[in-house]
Amino acid sequence: MSATGVSLDVARELRAICGDKHVVKWPERANSGTEQVGWLAKLEPGSGSPPSRPIGVAPASAEEVAAILRIANERGLRVFPAGGGEACVPLREHADLVLNTARLSEVEHYDHADLTVGVGAGTTVAQLNAMVGADHLMFAADPPSPERCTIGGLLVTADHGPLRHGYGGVRDYCIGVRFVSGDGRRAKGGGRVVKNVAGYDLMKLLIGSYGTLAIITSASFKLFPAPRATRTFLAEFATAIEALQFRDRVMRSPLSPMCLELVSPGARKLMRPELISDIWVMCVRAAGSDAVLARYRKELGSAITRELDGDSESKMWRAIEDFPLRPESESLWAPQLRIHVVVPPRDVMRVIEALEKAKWGDAIGIAMIGRVGVGHVLATAWPINLEVPWPPGVVVDELKKSMGPGVNVRLEHAANPWPIAPANLTSMQAVKHALDPNNVLRGRSLV
Amino acid sequence: MHFPAVVDQLRKIAGRDAVLDRPEDLMLYEYDAGVRKCTPAAVVFPLNTEHVSQILKLASASGFPVVARGAGTGLSGGAIAPEGGVVLAFARMNRILEVDAENMRAVVQPGVVNQQLSDNVAHLGLYFAPDPSSQKACTIGGNVAENSGGPHTLAYGVTVNHVTGLTVVMPSGEVVHFGGKAAESSGYDLTGFFVGSEGTIGVVTEITVRLLRRPEQVATLLGIFETIDDGARTVSAITAAGITPAALEMLDGWTLRAVEAACHAGYPLDAGAVLLIELEGLAEQVEEQAEAVREVCFQQKAREVRRAKDENERALLWKGRKNAFAALGRLAPSYYSQDGVVPRTKIPAVLQFIQGVAQKYGLRIGNIFHAGDGNLHPLILFDPRDPAQLELVQTAGTEILECCVSMGGSITGEHGVGLEKRNLMPLLFTADDLDVMLSLRNAFNAAGVLNPGKLFPTTRMCRETTGPSTNPVLAAEGM
Repeated sequence: MSATGVSLDVARELRAICGDKHVVKWPERANSGTEQVGWLAKLEPGSGSPPSRPIGVAPASAEEVAAILRIANERGLRVFPAGGGEACVPLREHADLVLNTARLSEVEHYDHADLTVGVGAGTTVAQLNAMVGADHLMFAADPPSPERCTIGGLLVTADHGPLRHGYGGVRDYCIGVRFVSGDGRRAKGGGRVVKNVAGYDLMKLLIGSYGTLAIITSASFKLFPAPRATRTFLAEFATAIEALQFRDRVMRSPLSPMCLELVSPGARKLMRPELISDIWVMCVRAAGSDAVLARYRKELGSAITRELDGDSESKMWRAIEDFPLRPESESLWAPQLRIHVVVPPRDVMRVIEALEKAKWGDAIGIAMIGRVGVGHVLATAWPINLEVPWPPGVVVDELKKSMGPGVNVRLEHAANPWPIAPANLTSMQAVKHALDPNNVLRGRSLV
Repeated sequence: MHFPAVVDQLRKIAGRDAVLDRPEDLMLYEYDAGVRKCTPAAVVFPLNTEHVSQILKLASASGFPVVARGAGTGLSGGAIAPEGGVVLAFARMNRILEVDAENMRAVVQPGVVNQQLSDNVAHLGLYFAPDPSSQKACTIGGNVAENSGGPHTLAYGVTVNHVTGLTVVMPSGEVVHFGGKAAESSGYDLTGFFVGSEGTIGVVTEITVRLLRRPEQVATLLGIFETIDDGARTVSAITAAGITPAALEMLDGWTLRAVEAACHAGYPLDAGAVLLIELEGLAEQVEEQAEAVREVCFQQKAREVRRAKDENERALLWKGRKNAFAALGRLAPSYYSQDGVVPRTKIPAVLQFIQGVAQKYGLRIGNIFHAGDGNLHPLILFDPRDPAQLELVQTAGTEILECCVSMGGSITGEHGVGLEKRNLMPLLFTADDLDVMLSLRNAFNAAGVLNPGKLFPTTRMCRETTGPSTNPVLAAEGM
């Protein structure tokens, strides 16, 4: 397709599939920086003018998705899926179609007594939680911006929040998925029951695949009973080493908290700018009766400096979930870029040391939080001295130097979520070829 | 290549004593714990990843099929070689390579027995959570191939939730590494995809598993019910009360009497059904949950709720559950075990259906199963020497699985599809679903060297012959 956009014929065909209202042309004027373009998607921050003007299309069913992908395969179009605008379309690359999943929002099944639910990929995490919360159930994913984050976006990014510690990642409770493969086949993996080994586990392949293999149209999940009461215990430390020693103590204890999160001094200041002391905080969230919570208090001992419940507890966890979100007017550059590092839990201290080194003296600001019990660190980096190179690049280089070339780093809201090429690229390419032989989905930029 | 020449090559790779090809030796490898049989052409015992790589290179070049085999405890025929096939037996690759207690990981070879790993790390207060009933014999390699479960997977998940890394030999002989010790890896989750692929994509030679910390307290309750319906309703009532037990198992009256006769586990002989309910965790939490579970049981008309007083009583109750299949084996020459899954609220209805099937065909069917996750194991007793009985039993099994699927369930919860259920896959999956899966298999195993004839239906599929095979075995398998 030409750099100025896809042909009128394609637009006509797409309108025939989805209806006039649901096919839009990219605006003539697209600013640099972040800009919401109707319901289409959010432009990648700082990408400048897009090299192509993709058509936006919002199908309402798996049939419509399949029809769109068939056209894309026949005409050699490159398609980028978009959910709630959280997964930005990398406009540095050529895109012909942006496929928005917002209209795929039907509830396929909700069996509250069986603790299972199936919803369309365009359903937001907040909508899902509101529905199941009415029955005292919980969807265990707590990604940032749940009001915008769609189920499809959550799955393809494998994103998570603090509940990752106690409930696992979305791969652990997604029990079925329906999708259209890059080459236009409507298919599914798994089903609606919590235990099922029939056929290949296609959920695992699609979760974290960044939309390179298929468009997910709906998914089924295992739900959990919502805890009746929770309480958060905060422990403050002068150094990260002491904070991680406390983590080890919790991990070796009989306790099994819902969340176990480390908050660095920098992250604490981002979330609450009025705080000035340089302390590391470990946040332990527990569920249970008064007797259970009293046991937590006893086990955690004198390290606990504060306890939170009710609104103040909810607000604190929401700030951690959304880290490092802040008003975009304050941003110097991509303020929401999140750098995830996942290592064996004992290596977390080395990751923190590498991130400290990446500050280049004080030229780069770095703040971090993390589900450190499972070896996860989430960092954000921003330039203080504007002469420095792109901060995430500096961070990734430092992580490679300190942790080795195989370290698992994932960038959110970036054109390439895997800044360090995955070790299994050949196997990944075999999978990509099997499901998307014409490289319709996101081209070959990632795999 | 002439087959004796293949055997010579296998001996050169793995050692003179590491290959079996005499009929009397091969007979031991012609079956698993299911009902199908086929004698392999040879059995080879690799010692390391390099051996496996060389064997698969030879297989790809010579065109003979290879089937990986752990302990042969599988129930779906997954480890049975097709005629002319070579069994890759992992009895010699049975070492625990590393225990990393700090990161709560272990690295094991595929031939390590499931229970041995938990025993080996018990002194560290750790264990490996997946616990199939055959855990004293089954291997972790087999668990990975089948994505095995067990009673305690209700709370902790199945094998895939406990594997973070794999070393895999592809059909070409190439050695690849998926994941590692970290909980997540960069790129596609090929570790997760590989687990449960039933030996059709590659052969695993090293497995990195997650270990869990042993709980502070365990309470094992036995809920005793007059009727199977009361017991079945209690299962979803416990979940509705917001309690997720570590295990929630059910035995019907007929089965528990057979088990009691064999194991003397202390089950009541006059009950209609029992629920074996295990609660684990913090002492305070376990006590509260135990009380809540007792209340729910009595609300659902339990006659009695007993609690194991000590570890011995607990072990005895579990001995009855875990040896139930063997106990039923005392009543008939053989049994056919099904592995259907239904949403837990459908358990009462599906148990009634199973009773109807038993009456319709004049069969004895026992029910002992993972009630908490709706994973049924109806055991149909029969005499395999009577081909008519076998056919009848398979018909009954198919009807039960059809019923499970019609209720929104699945044909297998933990045993895998293998040979046994491959032609039932269309009950669950459309031609396009299966076509997508086949294109993934063909991406790695196009010639069908690895475990041919498994998992996919033998009925014609549009892309079944993708990557044409010259292998007569595959052709005979409808592939």
